[in-house]
Amino acid sequence: MVDIGFYIVAFAILAGAVWAVTAKNILHSAMALIGSFFGTAILYLMLSAEFIAIAQVLVYIGGVVIFVIFTILLTTRLGDKAEIAPGMRKLLALALSGTLFGTFVHALSRTGILMSTKTQIADSNYASIERIGMRFLDPGANGFLVPFEIISLLLLISVIGAIVIARKEEV
Amino acid sequence: MTLGLCLGLAFALFSIGAYGAMTRRHIVGMLIAVEIMLNAANINFVAFSHFRAGDNTAGPIFTAFVIAVAACEMAVALAIVISMYRRHKNLDIDKLRDLHG
Repeated sequence: MVDIGFYIVAFAILAGAVWAVTAKNILHSAMALIGSFFGTAILYLMLSAEFIAIAQVLVYIGGVVIFVIFTILLTTRLGDKAEIAPGMRKLLALALSGTLFGTFVHALSRTGILMSTKTQIADSNYASIERIGMRFLDPGANGFLVPFEIISLLLLISVIGAIVIARKEEV
Repeated sequence: MTLGLCLGLAFALFSIGAYGAMTRRHIVGMLIAVEIMLNAANINFVAFSHFRAGDNTAGPIFTAFVIAVAACEMAVALAIVISMYRRHKNLDIDKLRDLHG
């Protein structure tokens, strides 16, 4: 039951990703990215990580992809084709990424993870909002309070940096 | 649904992203491919913490950090894209030599 759902979601994610990297029109590629990210959010729900699924939809689909689409609309004239490398380089890239995938699967098959049929081990609310929130704000050795504060600083810096980089030069 | 299936999905996604990063000549297309690769890494984090014993909450927390850093990276990268477009009216990476890449 869950397995059929997993295969459908996995197919949707992969199809969206393939479309995103091969589409001729760069705007279509951003649209396909939405599908791929949405499938990933559903996968997170199936892995019982609700908070991450919601963060994925809010930040990736609602933030990053919309930002990408705005940039495309600002910088592309209508009818522009996305530049894709010539056939020779495409073939080379296909061989390289295929080799990468083969190496990954080979390394994985030697660990025996591929054959293991274990289902969920973590208790079902391992990624509940309450658990994640408590860990984020825990100042102890197991907590993530300092990285949590640093990431807020990083967000502030990148927002200021983006404004400084993108503003018009003659002020 | 097992750990092997989730990892296989993440590896396939990463390879697709690597292919895209190698073939795209449009800067925004390359950024989209990089996002796909980051997404594959996130799936790995959540899958391991779901199927393996140990500190289970740490995996999703790392994913949250990756999402935040990816958003920062995207903001700065797209600001650079807009600034380069203003200067060159072109986003083909074979023609842009400002960053000496």
